[in-house]
Amino acid sequence: MTTEQPASNLIGPHTPVSNHPPEEAGGILLAKSVSEPPSSGEDSAEAAGADGTEDVEGHAKTEAALAELFVAPTSTELRDIGEATFGPPPPEPETVHGPDDRVQITNTAVYPWRAHASLLIVAADNSTWIATAWFIGPHTLATAGHVVFIKNSGVPGRDGWVKSVQVMPGRNGTSLPYGSVTSTSFRSVTGWTSSGDQNYDYGAIVIPTDLGNTVGWFGFGAFSDADILASQGNISGYPGDKPAGTQWYDHRNIASVDSRKIYYDIDTAGGQSGSGVYRIADGHRYGTAVHAYGGATTNSGTRIVLPVFNNYLAWKA
Amino acid sequence: MADDPSVIKGAVRDAAGKPVAGARVFFTDGPAPLPDIAALTDAEGHFALSAPVPGTYQLECHSEGSVPAKASVTVPAAGESQIVIELP
Repeated sequence: MTTEQPASNLIGPHTPVSNHPPEEAGGILLAKSVSEPPSSGEDSAEAAGADGTEDVEGHAKTEAALAELFVAPTSTELRDIGEATFGPPPPEPETVHGPDDRVQITNTAVYPWRAHASLLIVAADNSTWIATAWFIGPHTLATAGHVVFIKNSGVPGRDGWVKSVQVMPGRNGTSLPYGSVTSTSFRSVTGWTSSGDQNYDYGAIVIPTDLGNTVGWFGFGAFSDADILASQGNISGYPGDKPAGTQWYDHRNIASVDSRKIYYDIDTAGGQSGSGVYRIADGHRYGTAVHAYGGATTNSGTRIVLPVFNNYLAWKA
Repeated sequence: MADDPSVIKGAVRDAAGKPVAGARVFFTDGPAPLPDIAALTDAEGHFALSAPVPGTYQLECHSEGSVPAKASVTVPAAGESQIVIELP
């Protein structure tokens, strides 16, 4: 069952829909601001880096990020000494662009890492999938539309709302520092569920507890092109090409934006659909897009523009 | 998403030919942007991925305790392709 909003709230492809009765689908509110603040939840939190990226041990910052801190000395580009013996390294997956800069996050029990969740999805045909989501409020996680509603799969019985999603915040391999909670309540928009338009590939998972009050949540906002392009894009999630259930982080400059999507060369792999693409401003973390697609040259996410922001604002209430 | 996608149906086997359940299978390249989601093989090692447009797709498969495997499959328009991925 897909329930749409009452006619007075219809706004085209951003019309919110739910797999639950109308009173749960969420209303559309006019935002008085273009950003929602984050919350670090209980106990301590890691401070963000001053350069708009996370300070993660062992992670090589991009040149742009380093330029925020100091001017690096000029140097010639050197290849790994291993190439002298073994030749050039094998090609990486196309969703990994250039050298694989991802670094594993092992302290996933602290904010912000615990606000990212590993997902185990059971689709309508009982096939199972992995993906990622991120807390935006006490009981709501943002994710990709195709994580909660499968469209045009070509597989009999698979299309439609998924049956359930097991949400595992801050998962680190077999360790679940905040346990897991199963959701059967999802949100998306008609632009995805009816039209299958990738420009509207976004959604949400509503869990039956207020676990977000413990793990914290990210802010999110509709930002200008200039603000997004001037920011470092940060992504942390649960890729399928790494040990099961491990969280990996990367950041890079945003490559380009259009009215519906953000494009970037931040390394990702299958399993990271739904990850937040976020910027750090004044020490606070704000989602700017929902990672959704891997491409040969750039990856992309559904940009949080005003209608997207309004829906997420309503869904987190 | 394409209205009439092709489907890549496959099975993951170990070196002894036995099905591998819970293996992660996902696209790494293709003729169009692809959802960055990963399928898990079922108890018989089976999976089915949607290929939105015809062309050649690159897949990768990971399972704990095994070396990852890569595969290439070419799919027709609105058809079905079969593949068996062996984990060494």
